[in-house]
Amino acid sequence: MKELDRLALRNDLLTILTELREDWEYSDEITEQTGIFGDLGFESIDAVALGSAIEEHFDQSLPFAEFLTKAGERQAKDITVRDLLDFLMVSLNRSKERRS
Amino acid sequence: MSGPVILFGLDGATYKVLDDLVARGVMPYLGRFVASGVREPLMSTVPPLTPPAWTTLVTGRSPGYHGITNFLQYESDDSRYLRVVTSREMCCETIWSIVSRQGRRAGSLNFVAHNPPPKINGYVIPGWVPWRWVKKYSHPADLIDKLKREIPGFDAKELAMDLKVEQRAVAGEAIEDNESWIDLHIHREQQWFNILRYQMKHDPCALVGVVFDGVDKLQHLLWGYLDPDLEPERPSEDFLRIRARCWEYFRRLDRFLEETVKLAGPDAYVFIVSDHGFAESREILYINTWLEQQGYLTWAPGAKVAPDDSQGLGVPQAYHFNALDLTKTRAYAHSAGSNGICIPVRGKRGEEGIAPEEYESLREGLVAALRMRCVDPDTHEPLIGRVWTREEAFFGPKMDLAPDLTVALRDNGFFSVLRGGQVLKKRPVVVGTHHPEGVFIAHGPGLCMGVTLQPAQLVDVVPTILCALGLPIPEDLEGSMVTEAFTPEYLKEHSPVYGPATVRPPHLPPDEWRDRAYEQEGETEVLMRLRALGYIE
Ligand SMILES: [Zn+2]
Repeated sequence: MKELDRLALRNDLLTILTELREDWEYSDEITEQTGIFGDLGFESIDAVALGSAIEEHFDQSLPFAEFLTKAGERQAKDITVRDLLDFLMVSLNRSKERRS
Repeated sequence: MSGPVILFGLDGATYKVLDDLVARGVMPYLGRFVASGVREPLMSTVPPLTPPAWTTLVTGRSPGYHGITNFLQYESDDSRYLRVVTSREMCCETIWSIVSRQGRRAGSLNFVAHNPPPKINGYVIPGWVPWRWVKKYSHPADLIDKLKREIPGFDAKELAMDLKVEQRAVAGEAIEDNESWIDLHIHREQQWFNILRYQMKHDPCALVGVVFDGVDKLQHLLWGYLDPDLEPERPSEDFLRIRARCWEYFRRLDRFLEETVKLAGPDAYVFIVSDHGFAESREILYINTWLEQQGYLTWAPGAKVAPDDSQGLGVPQAYHFNALDLTKTRAYAHSAGSNGICIPVRGKRGEEGIAPEEYESLREGLVAALRMRCVDPDTHEPLIGRVWTREEAFFGPKMDLAPDLTVALRDNGFFSVLRGGQVLKKRPVVVGTHHPEGVFIAHGPGLCMGVTLQPAQLVDVVPTILCALGLPIPEDLEGSMVTEAFTPEYLKEHSPVYGPATVRPPHLPPDEWRDRAYEQEGETEVLMRLRALGYIE
């Protein structure tokens, strides 16, 4: 089975985020280093809403609450776009395996 | 074709307050509306909580079927992590979709768990959405830009919810400034009403639903100003000033109602509904502290004790990971608001918990203990009015997402999940809390006038709307149309028509679309369940 293409996924994610940039009153470029709390100014409920948007985009449920809770437990300073991408790579691959 | 139907939602509205406001002349139009329509109590879900209750109202299905059990619920049947509910957790078709797939337009404003929005033939602006997401989560995609252009003073930030503030308030924590709390809701309702008015004028729909949620928010914190039984004999100036501001909120709602009815036209049906009612709460039960005393729960080292003067119930976020020693805990409550107790079973959501074979006896013992031993330390009266098992309160394919036990407290309050210094604390100030009895007031052609009926259930609202619209009632809905609300002459001409079952929401994978075993649930089981819930004798 083919692994997910990280680069394609990255571009997908950045497109989703960049399209929403204006709604969030954020004008800088969004990159893998952008932090959703520190840079985008998200509150935890915004991160939850982002989870639903990503689930909707990929049309499947993803363990987003687990991801956010674990980041909280690690006392991670922020969640970057790269963290999101890592999470998506793992979760989407896992659900692909389950389906095949 | 019949209709249109306007579903005028007032979150938490209760007759005790509405009747008083009518009697005092604060809501004169509502008085006329009631006099020329029918009214009845509308019984909420167990527990009477906003997300399960509104979802039951708009799907005609109970929480075990539609899958929304609380604000926060387990991410999946085998996950221990809690997520905020969204439309992606909703497992039944909504009234908006039922209407719109039959070729009629529908509009939905400010309903909970509607984001991401269902792509119906019509429009949706969901409620409980933070401002950054209002545009993204509205349907169609250009709706918010259009409203921004067309409605003077439109402000998505006023429309949206600041969940941090709201959840604290709902959990009964004091806020600094009552008047700005009221004003916040006056402004927000004005934003929603402006949208409703604009859409009714420019995008007429067969069905439009709107929720004004400030009723709930004001009643939570300002119950002492709204419950006529609590009016002081010699009210202070402060009391009168704050009450006048509360009344201003309701005066505006009354004008919104009047304008809505006029805009809807003489052929329209207008249903005023609430997801649950309201009552006073005077005490805080620290359920986890009680569970600790009974040997069911062990706190994690260093778990903080709530300060003596705190009135919070525990912010609605996952509480069990950092506060509890799950290796030694056999029962706990993880989030405020649901009045639900969970029993961890080894292997189900991780490795901690009791052995599966111990489950039944442990749960039975806990039910007995809650009934007999959870008592007021002074009077020895039971603090728990009722206990439901998961099967009783949440029967259906999504039952595993719900707590193992759900309780109703003697004063209708929500328990606190925090570590309390004692089991029971008197509140310094009376607050409002949810009560199972909400309102249903209906007005329109063929409806009786000035009549009060026996209680209906939330699941009866969808069939009643469909009948008023002249659409078939899907055979898998749990409730039935409120026939007594209509005149015999009307029913002769418009007897309800039943049709094919509801359809799968598009986000739900086909293999998750309802377990067939539940579909075959016979009438007897439905009656047994309603009896267990106390809905029928
Ligand atoms: Zn509510």
